[in-house]
Amino acid sequence: MRILIANLIAKIARMTSRLAKRGGGTTLPGLLAEKIAPNIITKLANQLPQGIILITGTNGKTTTARMLAAVLEANNLKVIYNSSGSNLSRGIASCLSQNSNLLGTKINGDIGIFEVDEATMPEITKKVTPKIILVTNLFRDQLDRYGELNKTASIIGSAIKRVPESIVFLNADDPLVASLKKYNKDIRYFGINDHIETKSNGAIDSKNCLECDHELRYEHRYFGHLGTYECPKCGAKKPKLDYGLSNLRLSVEKSIANYGFSDHKILLEIQLPGLYNLYNALAACAIASEMKIKDTTIQDSIKKVTAAFGRMESVEVDKKKLFLLLVKNPTGFTQVIETLSYDNKPKNLFLLLNDKFADGTDISWIWDAELELLNKLADKVVVSGIRAEDLLLRLKYADFDLGNVMIEKNVGQALDLAFANIQEGETLYVMPTYTAMLELRKILYNRSLVKGLVE
Amino acid sequence: MNKKLTLAHFYPDNMNLYGDLGNIVTLLKRCQWQNIDLEIIEVKKTDKIGLKNVDIIFLGGGQDQGQKIIADDLLSRADMIKEEVEKGLVALTICGGFQLFGKYFQTAENERIPGISVFDCYTTAGQKRLIGNVIVDTEQSAKEWLPMAEFPHYKPSRTTLVGFENHSGQTILGDNCRPLGKIIKGFGNQGDSKLEGGVYKNAFGTYLHGSLLPKNPWFADHLIALAYFRRYSVEVMLHELDDSVEISAHEAALLRAETAKTVSI
Repeated sequence: MRILIANLIAKIARMTSRLAKRGGGTTLPGLLAEKIAPNIITKLANQLPQGIILITGTNGKTTTARMLAAVLEANNLKVIYNSSGSNLSRGIASCLSQNSNLLGTKINGDIGIFEVDEATMPEITKKVTPKIILVTNLFRDQLDRYGELNKTASIIGSAIKRVPESIVFLNADDPLVASLKKYNKDIRYFGINDHIETKSNGAIDSKNCLECDHELRYEHRYFGHLGTYECPKCGAKKPKLDYGLSNLRLSVEKSIANYGFSDHKILLEIQLPGLYNLYNALAACAIASEMKIKDTTIQDSIKKVTAAFGRMESVEVDKKKLFLLLVKNPTGFTQVIETLSYDNKPKNLFLLLNDKFADGTDISWIWDAELELLNKLADKVVVSGIRAEDLLLRLKYADFDLGNVMIEKNVGQALDLAFANIQEGETLYVMPTYTAMLELRKILYNRSLVKGLVE
Repeated sequence: MNKKLTLAHFYPDNMNLYGDLGNIVTLLKRCQWQNIDLEIIEVKKTDKIGLKNVDIIFLGGGQDQGQKIIADDLLSRADMIKEEVEKGLVALTICGGFQLFGKYFQTAENERIPGISVFDCYTTAGQKRLIGNVIVDTEQSAKEWLPMAEFPHYKPSRTTLVGFENHSGQTILGDNCRPLGKIIKGFGNQGDSKLEGGVYKNAFGTYLHGSLLPKNPWFADHLIALAYFRRYSVEVMLHELDDSVEISAHEAALLRAETAKTVSI
């Protein structure tokens, strides 16, 4: 009975919120539903015949979920997933409620894929036993909210420990993620074996051995603290891969690599640039392969995946292209910069820095992102956002030619300036923080240049 | 021939939270613009290094794990660092670095991580995390720690510092450690919005990151001037630089600190 009322309220809240154009109605319904029926997630999730998959970690949750959903759907599974980045408990409750009948006795789906905020993981595994848990990577991200990185790892660890029946997929290239093996017996490792090297010299988040604190030695460093590593003191090293990528071919437009597990070898092509997107694809493929989905299904469906909301998303306006590259934290920012430098063509840039809660109120991280790798690539630059002055200052100390940099705090006017910098057929590379991206999308939406405000 | 200064960056791997690199790059660039060569030496755990040729040492903030990893190593260098600080070595320590330059840091689990006692202060873990934009006024305190007689030409363009704090430690200053400044906006050393940072001779400690030096160029220049005087026994004649970008970022941060909410969680 409680479920019925909770579902009813949630559905009404969702409808009202959509009608009132207060957003996609992705969190409020769940918040109400969980208040009325605290066990709603457990009740509804347990009805999914193929169970649920949880995806957590700092970067790549949304894109990985999207990719995995695409593969599973191509395999004729009805997938339900929280696609709008509403990755707290209430967002998951919203999603489940929305896909169930009013009584909560029937759910319209075969399998659930949920991206889960790192700190929310313990709450979720208290409510459900997932079929699979995936941890993508752990980077410092908005420390003003979460405190410290090792603490985040132990929070995820405690969540994993609670569900020994789950299979846990860990990124072997991330020493901190790989160290989570101690919390579960059934581990699958995914990672990259290649000779690529990052251009970045910047700060590494997790450089010491998690077993003995000694500094790790890297044979190859792909980006941030991800790579092929071992501890010279205690011998701990990158685990052997169950699912791996090799022979990487990276460009500003797309990425190709060889994907292999046991005796399978598959050529993987994705229409998204950036090494981190290859990691996302690998994680999605690994889970699909574990679920015995055919190699050709994986290959064909992963190739068709387009970018998630604002993550390497491309918008065409008056024969000019706008390429949206969300930046949230130093490693992500540096990775975007490295991706843009796969070719050496000069690029017009539009950078936006906000410091609202969802962006992280502390903007110090821009000093850890390696803007120094971007100055030679930059043609004309426009900076905007609440903390535009800080961005301009960062560019000054990263040796940008300030004669080519304009500052305009009003986002709409800044967009006009940036667009005026490029010719037909050219691309404007836009790097906004989260709320700046929402603001930008709203402007594009009001000018009828993009269809939806949210996914 | 350019004059040369040397900066020792302690534990860049373990103590590098919150944009500490911005402080290093600011000192590097501003020296460059003054035709001073700044050599940067990275000092990692167990690296052997003397301080005779070092003019500035920098120690950034770290996670608890980072602090524990380097605490013993720092302690093994305590005598050497203190001896040079007595003779005017310039030091800038931020957040966790500031805490370890004090007498000790007592964690929430009542574990006492010993510091090297450059500053007469100690830190205990507080219940709350103090997070937000900060404005500090250094005008009063600067009079006490600026060696004005030796710097007849030195006029800092500003006396405010802007930055961002994020700490749970509460630092209590003793008689031999002066504050860096007074809090205008923010929580400060003890979360009571009174005092910020610590100063002993030419050693400075603060909770401000943001990064600190890029948006407070006068303070960066001040450190350079102190280091130059100690090395060459004459006042450095700093060229006037075009700091319009720095100043507009400083002013934007002042405004943001006045309007944005601070939180303690």
